[in-house]
Amino acid sequence: MTKLIYFGCLSRSRYKGTCENATKIIKFLDDEYQIIDDPPCCGSLAHQVAIKEDVENHVKLVNDWFKSNDITELITICAGCYNYLTRYYPQYLGSDFKVKVLHLLQFLDTPENLEKLNLKYTGKKLSVYYHDACHLRNAEVPIIEEARNILNSIEGPIQLKEMENNRMNSLCCGAGGGVYSIFKENSDFSSKIIFDQMRMSKGLITACPFCYTALKRIQEENKIKAPVIKFEDFIFKLMEGVDPVSV
Amino acid sequence: MSEKGKELYEEVKDKIEELKNNDSAYAKFGEIWKLACPIKYKSYDLRFLYEDTSREFVDRHKDNIIKMREDFVENIEDYTKLCMKRLGKTNHFKVHFAKTNEEAQKIFMEELGDNKVIYKSKSLEAKDAGIIDILKENNIEIKETDLGDVLCQLFDYKYPSFTLAPGVQFTVEEIVAKIKEKHGIELKPQAEAIVNYYRTTYRPELLNNVKVSLTSANAISADDGSIILVENEGNISLLTRATEKHIVVAGIQKIVPTVFDALLVAKIQERIMNVDGAYISLISAPSNTSDIQGMRVFGMYGAKEVVIILVDEWRTKAAKENLLYKDLLKCISCKSCDLVCTASRAFGNIYGSKYGIGAVNIIRDYIHNGIEATVRDGLFLCTGCENCTNWCPAGVDLAEIMRNLKKEATEAGLAPPNLDKYKEKIFKDKNPFKAQ
Repeated sequence: MTKLIYFGCLSRSRYKGTCENATKIIKFLDDEYQIIDDPPCCGSLAHQVAIKEDVENHVKLVNDWFKSNDITELITICAGCYNYLTRYYPQYLGSDFKVKVLHLLQFLDTPENLEKLNLKYTGKKLSVYYHDACHLRNAEVPIIEEARNILNSIEGPIQLKEMENNRMNSLCCGAGGGVYSIFKENSDFSSKIIFDQMRMSKGLITACPFCYTALKRIQEENKIKAPVIKFEDFIFKLMEGVDPVSV
Repeated sequence: MSEKGKELYEEVKDKIEELKNNDSAYAKFGEIWKLACPIKYKSYDLRFLYEDTSREFVDRHKDNIIKMREDFVENIEDYTKLCMKRLGKTNHFKVHFAKTNEEAQKIFMEELGDNKVIYKSKSLEAKDAGIIDILKENNIEIKETDLGDVLCQLFDYKYPSFTLAPGVQFTVEEIVAKIKEKHGIELKPQAEAIVNYYRTTYRPELLNNVKVSLTSANAISADDGSIILVENEGNISLLTRATEKHIVVAGIQKIVPTVFDALLVAKIQERIMNVDGAYISLISAPSNTSDIQGMRVFGMYGAKEVVIILVDEWRTKAAKENLLYKDLLKCISCKSCDLVCTASRAFGNIYGSKYGIGAVNIIRDYIHNGIEATVRDGLFLCTGCENCTNWCPAGVDLAEIMRNLKKEATEAGLAPPNLDKYKEKIFKDKNPFKAQ
């Protein structure tokens, strides 16, 4: 009976600080969750570009790894992992897939956890936007209001604003489906129009590491003032009493 | 990955490079498309033309449309048979069933007879059936009538065009300069002046000279054999009335069970495109009168003869054999998938095929020309954002079809180099982002 923190390959490889922050948040709320070294990739990126047999073998390998480590529950901070594990693993494995999969946002958005987190912001008036990632809104169990509930639970002069395109209507950052590695030009345009919908804001919060990568590049290249902040980092900074939009 | 995969990837990359050159055809189209898409996307939620939004209208009818389309696909052969019976026997249309595109082309040329000129509306279905190609091969003069297409023709089709508003990328200055160059007429650089020019010069021709006209159909009802056509300019009204012979070319997926379904399809298209379809024609027979002693005579003021060519080609096979693009049979051509498509928005005409822009037309290219064609059309530009599936009023899972096409392309060794690299790392290292 092991509860696992499953970061996802992109965060694990590129955003180690975020993984540490997420771990601290999760362990603060439930100390039973743990990290296991070198978990295998869920295989999401290979899904569209591999033959069925290879995908099936890989999914089985990952499930065997879950079984051998006695994983019964996991929390992921990756939108891609969440979407893939909840949509395709049951399709490939049927009842042999027994792991309860949660995204960090679902884990945080319970009355008990929100109460325990007791998020407070004491700085100057702050407005932020949240970007709905395709992986979260399209999932079998969509994650849409959770992020809003968490951000709205923060005490203090903080305001969550909505873009014209939000929730199921959100704009894709242009990086999904492996497109970022082959045709970055998609995010040149798509990520830019996300920023174009922000008005007088101090930050853009995202819960997807793929969106973060694309949005961050466009923010820097276009010298956009409002920083892109990963959801976990934002929450952890609030817990630490640090300015949540500081970079 | 094969050399072919690399070559196709470079080909798409080159087109994207052209997009950066402001004078290129891709850039000219792309700029307008980039503006139009987010506006259309947002306008779903704006109270644009009516009290409710387009989205509310679609949501109200979505379940019925999905059920109606599933019923059609499930019973495609029965509905086609019934539709042909009603169209032909009951309503006196001349009906042809073309099993293949080649058959449709042959029938069309026979129906055209000695005529060397054809006046057409957009007629995307005719393009799909290869009829436009065959007309060109036979040196038949094709006369466009939709103003957007007329403008594209004025510019010798040198620029790519929208399905919905072809030619919208031309500025008024460019248009009047071209009219002067081609027709020697000097016009004020104003939209009204251009419209008036065509109204005064082209409208009389459409009223008096058309012998054979070509249109598609927005929908064809099986229960009473009616063709429904939506338009805002009035060109289709003229082409269907002021002609001797009106030829309709449509794939059998245009068939809907009832006349009310046909009207609903037309209204959904109108709403999603946010155009006011000024005219809806519901055509249930060729022009006729029984005013002389009750004797029915065809060809009073409208078309004397209406010929309908229903094309099967891939459609029944897709339904019966559950082919990966079977879902496309449910499509009602409302274009909602294009308006919300991330790849389409970013890459405009680069993401599409010779049949038109967007995923649906990439799939059409797959059906007619195979998997390699789709990679050339920009299959791998799709981010898998699933907006197409989420927004489709007919329940077409376009995202799933695109995913399956990517798989097939990969199996054929046509995936772009980097994607292959990621895949190998996932299977070998169990982490695609592991540092080398």
